[in-house]
Amino acid sequence: MRSLTLHLKILIGVLVTLGLAITAYQILVLGIPVTEDETDDLWNIDAKVEFVGNAKDPVKVQMFVPPLNRDFVSLNESFISNNYGVSVNRVDGNRKVTWSARRASGNQTLYYRLVLTKRFSGEKAKVKGPIFRDSLPIDGPEKIAAEALLAPIRQHSADVETFVSETIKRVNDLSDDNVKLLLAGDTSTLHKARVVDLLLSIAHVPMEKVHTVRLEAGLAQSPELWLRSFNGNDWLYFNPDTGEQGLPADRLLWWIGDDALATVDGGKKANVTFTLSNSEMNAIRLAKLTDENTDAGFLEYSLYGLPLQTQQTFMIMVMIPIGVLVILILRNLIGLQTLGTFTPVLIALAFRETQLGFGIALFTVITALGLSLRSYLEHLKLQMLPRLSVVLTFVVVLIALISLFSHKLGLERGLSVALFPMVILTMTIERLSITWEERGAGHAMKVAIGTLFAASLAHLLMMVPQLVYFVFTFPAILLILVGFMLAMGRYRGYRLTELVRFKAFLKADS
Amino acid sequence: MFGLWKTWKALEARGIMGINRRNADYVLKYNRRHLYPIVDDKIITKQRALDAGIHVPQMYGVISTEKEIDTLDAIIDGRSDFVIKPAQGAGGDGILVVADRFEDRYRTVSGKIISHEDIEHQISSILTGLYSLGGHRDRALIEYRVIPDQIFKSISYEGVPDIRIIVLMGYPVMAMLRLPTRQSGGKANLHQGAIGVGVDLATGVTLRGTWLNSIIRKHPDTANAVDGVQLPNWDGFMKLAAGCYELCGLGYIGVDMVLDQEKGPLILELNARPGLNIQIANDCGLTQRTHAVEDHLETLARDGRQETVEQRVHFTQELFGHIPAQLAP
Repeated sequence: MRSLTLHLKILIGVLVTLGLAITAYQILVLGIPVTEDETDDLWNIDAKVEFVGNAKDPVKVQMFVPPLNRDFVSLNESFISNNYGVSVNRVDGNRKVTWSARRASGNQTLYYRLVLTKRFSGEKAKVKGPIFRDSLPIDGPEKIAAEALLAPIRQHSADVETFVSETIKRVNDLSDDNVKLLLAGDTSTLHKARVVDLLLSIAHVPMEKVHTVRLEAGLAQSPELWLRSFNGNDWLYFNPDTGEQGLPADRLLWWIGDDALATVDGGKKANVTFTLSNSEMNAIRLAKLTDENTDAGFLEYSLYGLPLQTQQTFMIMVMIPIGVLVILILRNLIGLQTLGTFTPVLIALAFRETQLGFGIALFTVITALGLSLRSYLEHLKLQMLPRLSVVLTFVVVLIALISLFSHKLGLERGLSVALFPMVILTMTIERLSITWEERGAGHAMKVAIGTLFAASLAHLLMMVPQLVYFVFTFPAILLILVGFMLAMGRYRGYRLTELVRFKAFLKADS
Repeated sequence: MFGLWKTWKALEARGIMGINRRNADYVLKYNRRHLYPIVDDKIITKQRALDAGIHVPQMYGVISTEKEIDTLDAIIDGRSDFVIKPAQGAGGDGILVVADRFEDRYRTVSGKIISHEDIEHQISSILTGLYSLGGHRDRALIEYRVIPDQIFKSISYEGVPDIRIIVLMGYPVMAMLRLPTRQSGGKANLHQGAIGVGVDLATGVTLRGTWLNSIIRKHPDTANAVDGVQLPNWDGFMKLAAGCYELCGLGYIGVDMVLDQEKGPLILELNARPGLNIQIANDCGLTQRTHAVEDHLETLARDGRQETVEQRVHFTQELFGHIPAQLAP
């Protein structure tokens, strides 16, 4: 007996641990949202390339597109163009789209559309970057100015991060003569970045120019320049105007390097405009979309991998164990009496069709009428099977009549009874009538009310949308339920009603 | 909430067994499933008992098909009183007790006059499984009607009082006399309204009674005291009950017996899931007694000994009898 208990404990432990582990994995590692209401931002970015084509030359338009390697996942990417050939290739960590056509004249418009979302998985891929580089060639007064600037920077910095930000701060100090010399009157961000690059190269600190797009809807914008440097572990991003470190979360890295965003061969007046819009989407649906475009195939093996129709069936099915659990608790812990073991669960399922209040009314009416028929049939002394068949047919006719009347009265709700399980009703009537005869009306009433109560409770619980979502999304929860049920299987404490039943003992004492 | 917890603790301290404990620790542990048919089917029980030489009410015949209902007359064979039972009935349901007959009519023990067709319909209902545990097809058993001993006349209302003894691994642990009342319709089942009266295991003297979960001392119909009655042939009952372990092999059973005025103690049926109200009737929890028996069994197993029926009866009578002296917690 003891070994059996140990066995059971281990089994329960394994099941609960497994259930918790799988669920925790789903929530924490895969990042599946815990509630259905959780939505993610979905960004729709349109880059419109306009240019004027030369009538005679072949046209080749090249534009950088986001490499999408780390923080964002592309859901959909399209290149909209008429009569252009399109190819995408990767160059030095950048992605570049090339539109080409033999001939194009007049105003041309090409679209690049990208739908993306934040990557919701917590893991980040390891990145690699340079940590050393050669100095750029420099001499004359610039060299002296640069060295004069670098001396205090070295003094005020401790590592790559502080070095870079200190450099940027110095370069932005326009009152400094050395800076003035190096900038040579051009105080544009691009030029400042170039100067910073120069200074850093003398110190052998690698630096890259990063062009980003800001994820904000309804904002006319052009790519924003950021600087980044690799510190051995990760990229550090710096604002070239302020020296501020860290790339805000709403920046999308578009391309790296000194090149212009778009180049046009065989055309002129190239211009790129960005239009951004965002929408929200249910996180799971989003995850499904993402899934198609990434290799994270976790949803493939969840219930979401099923066809939609089947999914709906399963949404009901996975809730049945919850209903059964309610019955288990009501019967074994509380001591409520119900008709049959799982009849309440079946009735609860039937309530899905009818809604609770109407379902209870319908159940009561049909059962009451069925009981009176049953008691009439009792006088005819029929055998059980024929008698049950008569009751079943009667129930069908009754339901048809109720549907008809309620339809005539304009109560569409009445039509929902069509699928109210008739066999369940018939068996309920039969068992209730036997209980009535043998244990008396009081007991039959008690059992009937107990059954309805259990069914209502199970129904209400099985209809909680958050719970349905949760169990459907994390079916491993069912393992925990099984663990609980197993534990209940060896529960030997009193039932709540027994405390009342055995009260006589305590009265005798006092 | 606190009150409930106090009740819980108090019940636990008195060793009151709840349904969950009974099922988990006794029914599931000691009663192997494949042996259930022996107790669930009264015909098999009777056969076994006859083979073992244990006294049971005489069986007149068995009807197992609709066709055989025609043989009812031959089975009754002119007897004026008999009992019709479903072989696999539960809780005394579907039992028809015929006390007398005149011409074509029969009179049940409760005084209701019924026709031959009524009896045939009853048998037909039994056959279709109306009263059986799982609704399976069943057989009808026609047997001797027990005439209760005169001793019960003053403390029972119609019907046949029976004696229920709970037997754990062959050790009788608790006994109760069940008295039909007007409310129970002559049936001796507590949930139908019969009275349960505790019985001292050693002496066979009745203690107080329980009726519908409350404690009583007088029979509600006859107003006679139910306690202090000496049951005749008590040791015979105890030995009969203890011997039922060998008969069916189930370790935790309720043995239902009657005292016929001519034939003495007879086994009526065995129950693999005996009810718990016997505790109220005896004002004593089952758990302490069963634990004592289990400890004793362990000791025996260590010594490699086994006890005879007489030794087992003696053991429990010594330990649990002569209430209330020994079992103060």
